[in-house]
Amino acid sequence: MNNNNEIIDISNLDSILFKSFSFFHNFCITCGLCSSTCPASGIEEFDPRKIVRLVSLGLEDEAVQSKWPWVCTMCGKCENLCPMGVDITGIIRKIRGLREKNKIPGILQNGLEAAIKTGNNLSLPKEDFIYILEDVANEIKEEKGFEDFEVPIDKKGANILLTIHNKLVNTHTEDLKHWFKIFYAANESWTISSENWEGTNWAYFTGDDDSMKILCGRIIEQMKRLEIKSLLWPE
Amino acid sequence: MLNYIETGRIKIDKTILNNNRVAYHDPCNYGRKSEKLFGYGYYKEPRLVLDYCVPNWVDLYPSKDNQFCCGGGGGSLTTGYNKERIYYGRKKIEQFKASKADLIVTPCHSCHGQFNNIKKEYKIEYLKIKYLWEIVADAIISKN
Repeated sequence: MNNNNEIIDISNLDSILFKSFSFFHNFCITCGLCSSTCPASGIEEFDPRKIVRLVSLGLEDEAVQSKWPWVCTMCGKCENLCPMGVDITGIIRKIRGLREKNKIPGILQNGLEAAIKTGNNLSLPKEDFIYILEDVANEIKEEKGFEDFEVPIDKKGANILLTIHNKLVNTHTEDLKHWFKIFYAANESWTISSENWEGTNWAYFTGDDDSMKILCGRIIEQMKRLEIKSLLWPE
Repeated sequence: MLNYIETGRIKIDKTILNNNRVAYHDPCNYGRKSEKLFGYGYYKEPRLVLDYCVPNWVDLYPSKDNQFCCGGGGGSLTTGYNKERIYYGRKKIEQFKASKADLIVTPCHSCHGQFNNIKKEYKIEYLKIKYLWEIVADAIISKN
């Protein structure tokens, strides 16, 4: 993170400075198991132990403005090995959540805002969504053994509600077919909601708990609206 | 899905992938993350599904809670840090090559996207990537 050898002021080091955490992380024994197992170690001098040190030392701004939390995939291999039980992926996600919204890298924040505003990351209107689903259903009908396949939309009282990853109604419509065919073959009673069908939740990635709650809550709302007890959320 | 197969609600033709060597990749969210958050990692169930559908499948090494991440998780397919993401994937490529598999199965959209993306970069285009539910759907014996 400090490629230009700029000097960081360490005169006020104090773990309490990292106020955004409700507990300290200065029990890390700096053994380095996390760094050794992390496939992202070495990317721009990142390794998980350094992040834990930043937090332990109270260097909140340095951690938040760094690229490091975003090259980590929060896969949890590090904390799985940690002998002290440091919640490393929790730390990473928390740091991500402290980044100013307009400085979140890539398309994450745009997608998330679209989802909050329109119900899906693509801002895809309801009629277009239904058109795509029915188009794919018609393709399945052409396959032997699936001639009377129908895609059930907003079916009240179905057993299972299926959420949809936005890429499946965008560039990967072929991949919609697999679950459709399994349900059909199993004679399952299932449905897709015409509203708030988005299965991805990019607030999980940006560390934005409020938005994450809104998106999860909307799926529960659909289950209530359609009187459905089980959810298949492959995302 | 496993329940559909075990109770006979769907019938499977296990010969579909006769000529493939299949390897299974555990997504972090099915394994380590699920274990941490909910107290149970889904390692056994996808492997049972594979037993029903695939005559010749192997585990990557290491696997389960020691599995290497695909490198595309945590939103990293969408941050724009692509060079870093591709570099991250080098460990998976080593695992894939060591397994001698020609088809990788995984039940995760991020892993699926990352593998398809990096296989070009590492010049292993022969490798096919499928969802776990895709190999089940492909193997269904139609009821009509």
